[in-house]
Amino acid sequence: MSDRLPGEEYRAGRSSGERTDGPELPLPDDAGPIPRVPRDASYWAAPVQRLGAVSDAARSRGLEGKRLMGPQQGFGQLWQRNYRVPLPGVDLSAAQVVGEWKARFGEFWPSGGSFHAPLAGIAPGELAALDVGVGQLVLLSTGVFVLYADETSFTFMTPQGHMFTAWITFAAEEDGGTRTAEVSMLLRAADPVAEVAYLLGAARMEDRFWIATLTNLAAALGAERRPVVTRITCVDRRRQWRRWTNLRHNGGPRTLIHGFRAPRG
Amino acid sequence: MTPRYPVRIPRARVVVLDLAGDLRAEAREDLEAAYDEAASREPQTVVLNLSDVGYIDSTGIALLVGLLARARRDGRDVTAYGLSAHYRQIFTITRLSEFITIYDDEPSALGHVTASA
Repeated sequence: MSDRLPGEEYRAGRSSGERTDGPELPLPDDAGPIPRVPRDASYWAAPVQRLGAVSDAARSRGLEGKRLMGPQQGFGQLWQRNYRVPLPGVDLSAAQVVGEWKARFGEFWPSGGSFHAPLAGIAPGELAALDVGVGQLVLLSTGVFVLYADETSFTFMTPQGHMFTAWITFAAEEDGGTRTAEVSMLLRAADPVAEVAYLLGAARMEDRFWIATLTNLAAALGAERRPVVTRITCVDRRRQWRRWTNLRHNGGPRTLIHGFRAPRG
Repeated sequence: MTPRYPVRIPRARVVVLDLAGDLRAEAREDLEAAYDEAASREPQTVVLNLSDVGYIDSTGIALLVGLLARARRDGRDVTAYGLSAHYRQIFTITRLSEFITIYDDEPSALGHVTASA
């Protein structure tokens, strides 16, 4: 028996502000005030209880039926990790930079990882599958849900089974006359095993990954080379011990098997 | 200088933060200043009034998570009221609603504080 509630399944490409196409009907005179649609409505994904009709790539990574996990649902300390690179010499608007980033997202990843973009692209409510190499032998296979996307930023949220419970925001803006690109993460390790891994080196790997990504993005856009500025803050040092049960969703064993079975790329 | 987000004390050990406008990255310093001001009153409960917030992006939600983390670290409860149906949906999908109790209006939010005190 399905434990999904009506209307709560994942629907590809659905955002909370999406309208259905059709002929416009005249309103009666006594129709009353028209409800005001929030300006951000179309940028947010519609509510999701569990990931439902996912792609084959997502299904093979065990994402079907998983719940989304925000930073509040994790086990470990709450961290904010920001990576920012100036883009001197780039004559694109912030919206154009983010447009390129969305369209070619996986191209900017360092080697050892692959991003399987949804058919509809990076849009609210879409789910992307991904593989990230950890060392030479381990390939972690999971996915990310597009929680929010507007012209100058977009945000991923992680599902159960991911090493982190996180929101990851990608944005471009102007800083003192220079275009900048930024990755901003708010995350906790999902479970005790992930927390130990995080402290033993996964955090440094995360840093290297996003620094390389921003460096690749800057090079692809033709920017003069500048160092990526990193800012790391521990927002909450307490661990959420009652979340140790997230271990049962730990995707490590499954992703290892997937990694051995599936070729990279 | 007038703070962007005023802090009110409707009763002992309760502060209300009146948030307004767009909740985006630019709001970070003002929100942190408002929480600092609220924390200096040593409240048991921080109530967020979101009635006049017209736009929240994902960075704005992350700011609320940061505020929530600080409040929990300080041993304070956080509740909210004044959310439109749209923002209630966003609190649901981001699972923020599991940590911040949402009420329809200020009397309901304050009534809960009284009842649980």
